[in-house]
Amino acid sequence: MRKTENQARGAIEDIQSGYERLGYVSDDQIATALFLAQTLEKPLLVEGPPGVGKTELAKATAAYLGLDMIRLQCYEGLDESKALYEWQYGKQLLYTQVLKEKLGDLMEGANTLDDSMGRLNDFEDVFFSEQFLQTRPLLQALQSDDGVVLLIDEIDKSDDEFEAFLLEILSDYQISIPELGTIRAKKPPLVFLTSNNTREIGDALKRRCLHLYIPFPDAPRENAILKARVPELSEALRTHIVDFVQAVREMDLKKPPAVSETIDWARTVVLLNMDVLDPEFVRNTLNVLLKFKSDNDNVEAELGRLLRETQGVAAS
Amino acid sequence: MIADFIRVLRAADIQVSPAEAIDAAAVIDAVGMRDRSLLKYALSHSLAKTETEKLAFDECFESYFLPPEPRPTTSDPQQDAAEDNQQDQPQDDDAGEQQGDDESNSQASAEASAEAGAQDGPPASLTDMLEANDQAALQAAMAEAASAAGVSEARLFTQKGMFSRRIIEQMGLQELNRDIHEAEGGGDGERADKLKQGRAQLLEDIQDFVERQIAMRTKNAGRLLREDALSRIRLSNLDRSDMKIMRNLIRRLAKRLASRHARRRKKSRRGMLDVRRTLRRNLSFDGNLFELAWRRTKVERPKLIVLCDVSGSVAAVSRFFLMFLYSLDEVMPRTRSFVFSNRAGEISDLMREVDVDEVMEQALRQYGGGSTDYGMAMQDLAEATLDKIDHRTTVMVLGDARSNYGDPGHLVLKEIHQRARRVIWLNPEAEAVWDSGDSEMRRLGAYCTQVKMCNSIRHVERVLDDLLRQSV
Repeated sequence: MRKTENQARGAIEDIQSGYERLGYVSDDQIATALFLAQTLEKPLLVEGPPGVGKTELAKATAAYLGLDMIRLQCYEGLDESKALYEWQYGKQLLYTQVLKEKLGDLMEGANTLDDSMGRLNDFEDVFFSEQFLQTRPLLQALQSDDGVVLLIDEIDKSDDEFEAFLLEILSDYQISIPELGTIRAKKPPLVFLTSNNTREIGDALKRRCLHLYIPFPDAPRENAILKARVPELSEALRTHIVDFVQAVREMDLKKPPAVSETIDWARTVVLLNMDVLDPEFVRNTLNVLLKFKSDNDNVEAELGRLLRETQGVAAS
Repeated sequence: MIADFIRVLRAADIQVSPAEAIDAAAVIDAVGMRDRSLLKYALSHSLAKTETEKLAFDECFESYFLPPEPRPTTSDPQQDAAEDNQQDQPQDDDAGEQQGDDESNSQASAEASAEAGAQDGPPASLTDMLEANDQAALQAAMAEAASAAGVSEARLFTQKGMFSRRIIEQMGLQELNRDIHEAEGGGDGERADKLKQGRAQLLEDIQDFVERQIAMRTKNAGRLLREDALSRIRLSNLDRSDMKIMRNLIRRLAKRLASRHARRRKKSRRGMLDVRRTLRRNLSFDGNLFELAWRRTKVERPKLIVLCDVSGSVAAVSRFFLMFLYSLDEVMPRTRSFVFSNRAGEISDLMREVDVDEVMEQALRQYGGGSTDYGMAMQDLAEATLDKIDHRTTVMVLGDARSNYGDPGHLVLKEIHQRARRVIWLNPEAEAVWDSGDSEMRRLGAYCTQVKMCNSIRHVERVLDDLLRQSV
């Protein structure tokens, strides 16, 4: 028992340092989740507010494990023909046209109706073979030889039916195509599902997944993220930016700034060669951080106070 | 033991399916039990699947898998120091690692140490444990005795004494008493006092333990009962303190309703091959079917216009009705709502922007005040919406139909009735008192497709469910 624990702890630390090399700052929770997803071969459902790095996590994982990533972006109306496979109707029709010309040759010598039906039947199988199969992300993921990271992005945007359709893939890593039979994964892909919680995900789906919730990062972690992503930034300025964003997040806003926005803003600071956050500059670039007019106005009104307070913290 | 923990989670309103319980067992296999923070994260990933569940899970985990408690003693300064260490221990991973090597002071739960204790050889007697002040061993013995005494079945606080007694007896109270007696008889007063003190302390610990166990398992039973009762209670009799539970309840009911009907709406969106349209579309390809057209079924969303009385007696029902209605915005996005007391005014946009309490307050300020005037309100409603009412529109009126002997507005309602698909009147009063006094229910009811009593959340849910069902 002791041994497995040490192994688990070691593996989780490996994962963390692996992520760090790739510029993705994780924490214990995230690394544990990935470790479990790998060990138990279970899909990982990642939830959290927009812009906290859910998609980024999948990308970092793919890079860390040296696997390809296949991404399926969900949207309302997405169905299996776009997610899994589709018959290439056009190609099939084209072949039928070609066949039509040859039909006379083919039917030569067939005297009875049964005989000609038999000959035609041979072709039917050809039409529903993999040759005419247009593979889509899910099928690609199952067919890959070395295993892949499969990212099913924003699952909450898809319909309920699609969710139900995913169940077979997620629990058994296999899929049934009526014309071809069941296709089994050569190597189970590592599946990430992300959700912004615009809609409650069904219980059946949740049951099959491990669940990871990524909240907005606290100051030290955000600091570490900025350090990894925008290394050009000076220590003091970085701390100030983080403190400022954290303070803004505490205000009552329509959409609080996410990590991705912090990074964008920090890049702006670097791009414009600023050494300190002066009010004029912040006012002009606030739209990088905030995406609603009303939020913008709210923060602008409090700008002096926010900057003063966070400056104090940063200086001390 | 994991099964027992899952029972606790279920009591705390976290949905755990058998499949997830199996996962949890696999998770424990993978990460082990010693590293408390690791175990917590790992179990949290596999058992708690929403943000709120995560919070509840953390709470349960903390109270179920207790770190062994330090207790100040006079006996062994070295052990004191060790235990103080433990108290300071933050719940991060480094601490977990340091502690992982220390067998008896391990950070694992009482139950976990029970396992460890069992492996250590024959259990020491209660006297020995008390004399050595071996907290880990005591905790372990306590947990073991507790499961033998069946504490997990305890549901009532009045059972506390009984279970505590059972546990301490299980742990060897008799021998302890005998030892104390012997010590007293043998003139070793100091030892006897110390043991007595230990016994008292132990009993207190056990009582705490039992109390916690009971609290953990019954946390939510009361709330569930309460919710059930609330959904039937007359809304006008609602206590202020129940408002919050009520809100949650409504949100949940609405969600259920919405998901049920959303699915139906979308289902009929999937189509079969539409042969006629396919042929027409492919005429340009010489009749070869390159482009397929699918048959679609258009499903109408209910178009709803609601008129709510917000004066005095009906206000409470209106409030919850509106709250419910706008929780359904997802499936009924085209709802327009009006409130009235003497004049009617539209609040559709307001409802989508601000909290229902604020809406009610504003509405009362703006439209309330005067005595209820159905005639005027109907007129206002007709003016604002009559040209929008068509054969797809359902009009709902929520009110007690008491017009203070004024014009009940039945002629306007007649006009609305002729145009609308349905007019449904919801009356919060019991059927027996309709038409008594100034109630004009009969005259108004003549121009309604349906008149229903509606004064509890159950009723509201049923009415809206019917509406959604019939709209397809």
